[in-house]
Amino acid sequence: MLRFLQERVNKKTKATEVEAETNPVAQSDYDKVSKKQAQVKELMRRLAEKLGKENGVEGGR
Amino acid sequence: MRLSSDLLGLVLIGAFAGSAFAQIQLPGEGVRPEGHLPAVPPVHVQNPFKPFDQPRFEKACRELGATALQVKTFAEEVEEVGAARAADDLIRKMSDKFDAAVTAAEDEDPRAALLLAQVLVDAKSPVMQAHVRYHLARLFLASDDPERAIDVLNEYIGQNINYTSLDGEAAYFYAQSLAEVPMLDAAIPRFRAFLAWFPQASERLRSAAHQRILELEQQQESRLHMLADGMKKTTRDLRKKKTDKPVQLDQEGYLEELDELIEMFQEMEKQSSGPASGLGPSNNPAASSALPGGEGKVGNLNKRPSLADRWGAMRDSDRKKIMADVQNTMPPQYQKMLEDYYKKLGKAKR
Repeated sequence: MLRFLQERVNKKTKATEVEAETNPVAQSDYDKVSKKQAQVKELMRRLAEKLGKENGVEGGR
Repeated sequence: MRLSSDLLGLVLIGAFAGSAFAQIQLPGEGVRPEGHLPAVPPVHVQNPFKPFDQPRFEKACRELGATALQVKTFAEEVEEVGAARAADDLIRKMSDKFDAAVTAAEDEDPRAALLLAQVLVDAKSPVMQAHVRYHLARLFLASDDPERAIDVLNEYIGQNINYTSLDGEAAYFYAQSLAEVPMLDAAIPRFRAFLAWFPQASERLRSAAHQRILELEQQQESRLHMLADGMKKTTRDLRKKKTDKPVQLDQEGYLEELDELIEMFQEMEKQSSGPASGLGPSNNPAASSALPGGEGKVGNLNKRPSLADRWGAMRDSDRKKIMADVQNTMPPQYQKMLEDYYKKLGKAKR
């Protein structure tokens, strides 16, 4: 699932870059893709923290 | 957020699930972002910092207009509150504009960045420049913009070291900014250098540096946290309209890292005995039943307004005035820096 979500963000990033080559892209569009990346990051962090608590090795933050 | 919880649940019962995980460490180096990293000069092998030269600093302050009483008070305060704080207090007493800018930063007033930049533009003395750059970098760091903090501290290190007693603090926050990017390989040696080069720094900072080194070393061992850190940096890049090849390569690296981790966990799951089950006893039960620590307090739970809150709460006319001042009074390099900063404040989650 994380992989799928990151893949979606990657596609959106590329599409935004392509769009910017021909038309001006609004800051709100960059914010949208940034927000999607932030959501994947947050999932990743929560997963790392959850597994870190179980394991005691993969923790540290 | 319901959606996130569901997704996390799916992730957990998918490739990453299984009691085998609790027994393992993750081999491999992990992935780190490489796109748009701030320019960081190599760490000095030799200490570029000289011990604080108090007479020279006092002389510079007298030339800037400090009174004899202010200098005398500074000398007394050095013993009481430390040289860094005493020097900053003296500069604040000498310059109303600097004091107003730092007060605004302390009060999380959105005008703080503009006020500090205005003082910096007018400052000819490296002593004054050092203090302004230090506070500006702290402000950027507190606003989740470590890259800009590094830019400002690079100027400090390039132009302002060995003039004031803030060098130790600047060195600490330089390392801290690198850690936040995250550039762990650059941050750890700089925290170590800070500890070696500033034995007289405040115990608060020295303890924090020791703690950060431990945390960062653990973080380096955690591929999952490293991946989340990289994604955090990419989030900032995207917000700054950076969608180009270096950012795309970082993102492709995250996918490859996820593939590798999933494959690793699947392999481990195959090797573990029996199917994964969430019904068994905990691998790490509490030694005793107890309430979690912390104060059982009932009271005002309203959160303190952030800088972004305050920016949002300002009148339109006040915000426009700040932006007009940025455009009309700042030289180009600071104009761009402040425009980006205020745009980001306007977009920040409130």
